[in-house]
Order: sequence, then C-alpha cells, then structure tokens
Amino acid sequence: MEKGSEMSGQQSLLIIQQMIETAKQEQKDDGKAWIIWGWMLFFASLTTILNQHFRWGGTFLFWNIFGIVSLLLAFISIGKRLFVKRQHKVKTYTRDLFNKLNIGFFISLMFIIAGINLGISPMIGFPLLMNLYAFWVLIYGAVLNFKPSYVGAIITWILAFGCLFVHRFELLMVFHGTAVLFGYIIPGHIANREFRKLQSRPPNQV
Amino acid sequence: MFKELDPILHSQLRLAVMSLLISVKEAEFTFIKEKTNATAGNLSVQVQKLKEAGYIEVVKQFKDNYPLTTCQITKKGIEAFENYVKALQGYLNTDN
Repeated sequence: MEKGSEMSGQQSLLIIQQMIETAKQEQKDDGKAWIIWGWMLFFASLTTILNQHFRWGGTFLFWNIFGIVSLLLAFISIGKRLFVKRQHKVKTYTRDLFNKLNIGFFISLMFIIAGINLGISPMIGFPLLMNLYAFWVLIYGAVLNFKPSYVGAIITWILAFGCLFVHRFELLMVFHGTAVLFGYIIPGHIANREFRKLQSRPPNQV
Repeated sequence: MFKELDPILHSQLRLAVMSLLISVKEAEFTFIKEKTNATAGNLSVQVQKLKEAGYIEVVKQFKDNYPLTTCQITKKGIEAFENYVKALQGYLNTDN
C-alpha cells in the first residue's frame, strides 16, 4: 500500500467497504460452542431415553455424566484463557457482548439446575431450561443477524411450551433433544460452514 | 477536487486503518498490518499520524515478554470518519 497517494472518491469508498467487510468477518462466530454443547445435550437426552428402557442406572445417570463432562470442559476453557496465549488479535463489540451475556446465561442455567436438584420437578425444570436456551439462541441470532438461530429459537420455544403439557419423562427428553437439535446443532453447523467458507477467502487487497 | 476532505484520512493506509478500527473495539498492530497488507514501518508512521491527530489511541505494553501494541478509535476519530464519509458522499453525488 502506498504512503499517501492521491485517491479518487471511488477508491476511498472501496477501501472503506473492504476494511469494514474485513472487520465484519471478525464478528463471525465459528459455531463450535453450539456444536459441542448441542451434541452433548442431544446425547444426554438420547441416552436418558435409552436408559429409561434398558435401565443401566438411575434416571439421571447420563445427566450426571453430562454435568461432570461440562465441569471438565469449563475448567479446560478457563485454564486455556488463563495460561494459553490468546488467539484473538482483535476485540470486537460482539465478542465482548457475548462474553458478558455468557456469564448471565451460565448463572441462569445454574439457577434452574439448582432448582431441579432442590425439588422443582424436572417436568417443569426442563421446559424452563429450554426456555432459557431459546432466549439465548434468539439473542445470538439477533446480534449476528443469523436467520437459522431465529428459526431455532422459535422451534425451541414451541417445544418448551409443549413440554408443559407432557406427562412422560421420556417424551420430555424427546422434546429436549429435538429442541437442541434445532436450536443449537443445526444453526451451529450452518454457522461453522459459513465461517470456514469465509476463512478460505483470500485477504483483501487495498 | 477533494480539498475539503480531511487530509489526515484522505490517504489509503490511514483510511484503511480507520475503517478497520471503526468496526471493532480495539485491534492489535499485527492484526491491522495483516489486514491492510502494509509494511510494519509504513504502518507505524501512519498510526503515529493518526495518534497525533487524536483519531486513535495507541497502547504499548508487554505480554509474555513480547511487545504488544493495540489501537482503538477515539470519539474524535469517529466524528472525523463520519464527516469524511459524509463529505465523500457529497462528492460522489456531485459526480453522478
């Protein structure tokens, strides 16, 4: 790039457009968190349904395993942030907002989980969890203007509402698994595919 | 032709830096260098000019024994950028 050569209005506009487009790419999410948590929640729901049939252990055996794995992943993530050199060379408003909202989401999640462990029926607790998932998915979709998340949030809310009228735990797990499939997994994979496509583009030449 | 355009911003690299910084909270020097394809020397000079104009804030620190320079756009910088874009739109409209 030249130091300060004469530019036409069109050239100036092109530079602004290219650079803003480059910065926008940084706002893109790779969807990995949705994929990981989505599949974990999906398998916890699925194995709980199977466990109801085959009786490998207590009703919440696989949810307890899920809890342990989640804690391990959380510790790894915190450890990475503290001890491994950070990868992001740029701080975006979106990433900053998500980091803060994540804390709120986690606290709300723990609040409901604690409630279930302290006596709230899982038949109410799981719809509340799904309601929280839907809200978080909607925020994500709204901030990133990502349509699959809008659709996912609506489906998750419909399923959460439907769960209030379900009386069998197995069916509740089917609803829960379906909700994470549409709310987390599918949007996560779409976001990941879009992110990889964007990453494979050649850098802008100003 | 572009007399009224802010001369600080009316330079390819400085405009590119400002356009990048307007969309993010803050960016490392290496990130800006990578995205603008500029040389470190040239970028340093242009960043310094933007800093002197009060358009950006430059923080130099050390992380893991390596120098780390981060840049952030200031309020004055945002205003200047907006005015530049407005002026540019005016010129382009006149051209059409």
